[in-house]
Amino acid sequence: MDLATIETRGLTKSFGGMRAVDGLDLTIRGGCAYGLIGRNGAGKTTTLRMIMALLRADSGSARVLGANLWKAPASIRERVTYVSQDQNLYAWMTPRELQYYASNLYSRWDARYAEHLARKFSIPLDTPVGALSGGEKRKAAILIALAARPDVIVLDEPAAGLDPVARRELIDALVEVLTDRPESTLLFSSHIISDLERIVDHVGMMDSGRMLLSGEVDDLKTRMRRLQLIFEGDHPPPGFRLPGAIRLEIDGPVVSAIVRAEDESAFAGFEEQYGARLRMFPLGLEEIFIEMASATREGRLQEEGVTS
Amino acid sequence: MSDLLHFQVDAASGVPAYRQLMDQVRYYVASGALAPGDKLPSIRSLAKRMHLNPTTITKAYGELQHLGVVVLEQGKGVFVADRVASLTTEERFDELRRLASGFAAAARQLGATPDEAAQALRVEMERLEPAPD
Repeated sequence: MDLATIETRGLTKSFGGMRAVDGLDLTIRGGCAYGLIGRNGAGKTTTLRMIMALLRADSGSARVLGANLWKAPASIRERVTYVSQDQNLYAWMTPRELQYYASNLYSRWDARYAEHLARKFSIPLDTPVGALSGGEKRKAAILIALAARPDVIVLDEPAAGLDPVARRELIDALVEVLTDRPESTLLFSSHIISDLERIVDHVGMMDSGRMLLSGEVDDLKTRMRRLQLIFEGDHPPPGFRLPGAIRLEIDGPVVSAIVRAEDESAFAGFEEQYGARLRMFPLGLEEIFIEMASATREGRLQEEGVTS
Repeated sequence: MSDLLHFQVDAASGVPAYRQLMDQVRYYVASGALAPGDKLPSIRSLAKRMHLNPTTITKAYGELQHLGVVVLEQGKGVFVADRVASLTTEERFDELRRLASGFAAAARQLGATPDEAAQALRVEMERLEPAPD
């Protein structure tokens, strides 16, 4: 599939003068498992709500399956399911009744699959939703979102509030979706990277309503490195510059940095040229996120320092 | 027999998951735990067992095929290659260096000399099945 399944351009939303989402461009291709990562308040939920046409953008656009969901016919909308953080399921319905209700809403409803998920998630089918635990409510909502057999599944913080066993059940259910229906597109948000990292193949890192960094997980892990250079003498040689540095700290002769390294040989020159010792360490997604967020904040602080 | 092998991936690591899986398959092949012609677990079953996105497994198997470690037989599955295709001396050295970088860092942290580290490596290599000449 060449067309983007989810696409936003310049998506912007403010609440009371605060920019929650600030000119966001997001492109998610069909068949991706995309993790939108950021701290609480980064603008993830606002972004998902605008994508789902639950919240009007101040400016910019959001399209899903090529359509603007505000205007899309039911035949498109039923191919996109969404689970919010606070599932607004009818408290007086039981999960069994909810499934019956959903089976009438979604033309592709898969009753056998729903049964399979109910067993997998150990959801009590005949207890009113209002009496279920937070985790059970979450799982009941996810069950509906998956059994509707949509093309696009949008989950807002699906793992939050789930215990480790329930998180594993959720991951397994999503692995099943990705295995059985590889053309499905998964988009979820998370403030912790955690075990969802196992299934994400693309990631977007948000901070203060903007995209800090996005790309393929394997590619980011391959390119981003923690680098340490130890020079002989008391400090790096005059005119020393580090190409591709995102963060840089110099402590005497020791240079520590986070670099975008297309190729490690780009830095090997320092060893030969200056007799420095070079060490490179891989970075996990969580470390990449923390470093990028810190670098951005420091950058802003410096800008503020200049103007004040 | 490959169903009995233990595969494990640390998703939080900076080493891509498909790379970790490739290294494990190669380790099992090098140690003789996987013999030529052995069938590897299907993408589907391994994705489920390891709680991983199936594309990760597909990518690892694809790269392993490219390196001549496994062969993909349409409709039958993935098998350990009869004879692991030979890398050029240079390719093999690059690969060894890549694998050795983590070991080297750990050895230095332990305060080991290069000779001690090399000695440890020699001992471990001798424990493996004898290399085909």
